[in-house]
Amino acid sequence: MLQTLEGIQNGLRLSVTTPLEEVEAAAAAEDVLVLEFDAFRDGRGFSLAAVLRERGYRGQLIAAGKVLPDQARHLRRSGFDAVELAPGADRAAWARMDQAFSAAYQPAVDPDPSIWRRRRAAANDRDLDALADRLNRETAGKGAAEIVKAALDPALGLKVGAISSFGAESAVLLDVVAREKADVPVVFLETGQHFLQTLSYRTQLTRALGLTDVRLVTPDAEEKATLDARDDLWKTDADACCDLRKVRPLARATAGFDALITGRKRYQASTRADLRPFEVLDGVLRINPLAEWTGDDVEAWLDARDLPRHPLVEQGYRSIGCWPCTRAVDDGEDARAGRWSGMDKVECGIHLGKRKAA
Amino acid sequence: MYRYDEFDHAVVRERVEEFADQVARRASGALTEDEFKPLRLMNGVYLQLHAYMLRVAIPYGTFNSRQMRRLAHIARTYDKGYGHFTTRTNIQYNWPALTDLPAILSDLAEVEMHAIQTSGNCIRNVTTDVFAGAAEDEIEDPRPWCEIIRQWSTIHPEFSFLPRKFKIAVIGAEKDRAAIRTHDVGLQIVKGDDGGTAFRVFVGGGQGRLPHIGQEIASAVPAADLLAYLTAILRAWNLLGRRDNIHKARIKILVASLGIDAFREEVDRHYATLRREDLRIPEDEAERIKAYFAPPPFEDLPKVSAPFDRALLADPDFARFARNNVRRHRQAGYASVVVSLKPVGGVPGDITADQMEAVADLAERYSFDELRAAYEQNLVLPHVRLDDVPAVWRALRQAGLATANADLATDVIACPGLDYCSLANARSIPVAQALSKRLADLDYQEKLGPVRINMSGCINACGHHHVGHIGVLGVDRKGEEYYQITVGGSPDEQAALGDIVGKSLPSEEVAPAIQRTLDRYLQIRAEGERFIDTVRRVGPEPFRDAIYETLDAANA
Repeated sequence: MLQTLEGIQNGLRLSVTTPLEEVEAAAAAEDVLVLEFDAFRDGRGFSLAAVLRERGYRGQLIAAGKVLPDQARHLRRSGFDAVELAPGADRAAWARMDQAFSAAYQPAVDPDPSIWRRRRAAANDRDLDALADRLNRETAGKGAAEIVKAALDPALGLKVGAISSFGAESAVLLDVVAREKADVPVVFLETGQHFLQTLSYRTQLTRALGLTDVRLVTPDAEEKATLDARDDLWKTDADACCDLRKVRPLARATAGFDALITGRKRYQASTRADLRPFEVLDGVLRINPLAEWTGDDVEAWLDARDLPRHPLVEQGYRSIGCWPCTRAVDDGEDARAGRWSGMDKVECGIHLGKRKAA
Repeated sequence: MYRYDEFDHAVVRERVEEFADQVARRASGALTEDEFKPLRLMNGVYLQLHAYMLRVAIPYGTFNSRQMRRLAHIARTYDKGYGHFTTRTNIQYNWPALTDLPAILSDLAEVEMHAIQTSGNCIRNVTTDVFAGAAEDEIEDPRPWCEIIRQWSTIHPEFSFLPRKFKIAVIGAEKDRAAIRTHDVGLQIVKGDDGGTAFRVFVGGGQGRLPHIGQEIASAVPAADLLAYLTAILRAWNLLGRRDNIHKARIKILVASLGIDAFREEVDRHYATLRREDLRIPEDEAERIKAYFAPPPFEDLPKVSAPFDRALLADPDFARFARNNVRRHRQAGYASVVVSLKPVGGVPGDITADQMEAVADLAERYSFDELRAAYEQNLVLPHVRLDDVPAVWRALRQAGLATANADLATDVIACPGLDYCSLANARSIPVAQALSKRLADLDYQEKLGPVRINMSGCINACGHHHVGHIGVLGVDRKGEEYYQITVGGSPDEQAALGDIVGKSLPSEEVAPAIQRTLDRYLQIRAEGERFIDTVRRVGPEPFRDAIYETLDAANA
């Protein structure tokens, strides 16, 4: 949103009637540039801002002088950060007009996706929705291996990856995937807050299954320095912590994938009760080969295939995430009752669809 | 034709809400009239001589029966039962109450129509060849590109407060049926070096007080880069165009003062640094839009039609209509039918609500539900089976819409003039009506062949008088309405401005003088020569003599 600032702002002030070359030369050395409109009809300021932004000006751009609330989004979308208002100006009108439209056709300087890009994302979703429906029909009643095989079918042309927490039940999914194709990229979110046991289990399991492309994805260093320099964000805002350490890194790491295999199962949580083997989330096909499995199915598979167990399982942990937000559960409890225990939270967010359409 | 998706619907709906907010702030005094004016203009609302006027966009002149019926409904419910088609392929309502405007805009939004940017200093409704998608000589249907430009230019953040209005026209054939060189930017689809779609770009055309013919600025801009190139042109003009004098603010003045080469360099400098990748039209979006303009499901028909040929022989009136108002079609067995809005003694471009409904019925029944508005202020049924043309003609005749004068002398383009318009110096409608009555004899008109006569009530040239083969311009001479005559103008690929032949005439002298001009042509024309060909061959002199001979005789 365009900021509304009251009173005269500091910074170099230039009229929008100033020739472009002079504005550019002057702006180069300035952190704050105030462009003054002599008349609201004089739209030169919009082009000046757009050109400055496109040619790399990173400082603050403030519009001043004769501008109308009705021009709020023109200013914002042309590259202005703020407008300087006289004391007592109708800020509500500025806010209302800034947000008068839910979308714009044309790409501009602002980062919001244009209608054209949103249409493309929507069309992609529609195509994927149809594909998910078809694959759900075709694999109905079939096992996890067939589901993975269907997703990996070269005829679909999908770029497929898997995500794994290397937790209590992860060995099953990774085993199924490795038996189909051992070089499927497996994304592991290295949050920096995992149990040491999880990290050693990851090494052990990777070797045992012969996985050749396990990728460790860490939070963005700059974001982390800003948001959680002391590694204690989880104490005050677990959602923000998950966002920083899981949701955003996953979005970055999986940007190139059309399809992601996950180990989620319906029985794990009420949020997963309707889970289907194929679904679409944020423009990506999600493949859940174990959707219909029960805890007993998992146990049986681990036994039958004699797969290594997560070291914490025998200490009563049945769903394992980062150490601050995971505890062991009693026999009578749900497997995921030990996740974010005592908080109104059952999912970290990576399976909820939070990535902005782009 | 194009259909709205959820995004298009949202933009139009939110625009109505935004306008309601602006009207409320005007009412409360938060906006002054000076501040409100450009905002209402960008929603098509003018203040005319007697009342508000609403100008509704018909994007690139293409619409359907449901939309036409809604236009009829608006004419009947909120106006005096008629509307006026303009030279910008829009429709104007001259008598709506200001308080009804939100309801009208909502009614329009329901049928995927709006009045956005039909006025104001912004990018206006894009126009095109009225026979787009039907013409034989077309290399590509220009309408998908018009729709892409419509979307790109709608509520543009950078180009909504330009020095002056900005008009773009697009054609897909060598033959120019959209007068692109009289537009701020004219685009002609050509084949690029790689065989793909490209655009030949003309810039700086315009009529008005200081008319200019557009000049070529680029010979083949690849289609994907079209919006980036248009952005560079608009940016150069937005930054350098004059804002101190409304009459010198159009891009034509900047192009003329810099010269086309210096202006091109200016555009190229902007083009080099703007974010072209962002402005590339996504290929799938272009394909999505093109799909809406796919040809309708034509039947395989023979080239000749027995019912059509029988009607030609049976009825001379039908034969005349077929000669003058029926155009060849790219698809065998089909034709395009021009519905003239120029009845003898009528107001050019006016149409009643009943007539709108009659045309809507015909479009639905006989033309794949498609209609076109022509900049010549006529309508076109673009895709009619030859077999059906006699039935269409009978229905048009019943509705009073079968005047067989398309492109003939009485197919006059005229602005609303001083009868409605606050800018006009003189009336144009009564002069057009007098001319129409004087030249009414269709045998005489057919003998003359095609001739374009255009009338404007003032120097702003909404009636395209500069590019009429014969142009008539209303001027104010000491409080009296006088009319200046030009000869030799042309709107097409051989675009030219007419020459002023001499001093202006009083209104009652206009029609007789034009008739003398046409008679002189009949005397001196060579075999097969159209009026404009003769003018080009002999120059304006013989016509000047014809126009002033009785006056000179009277003064002698």
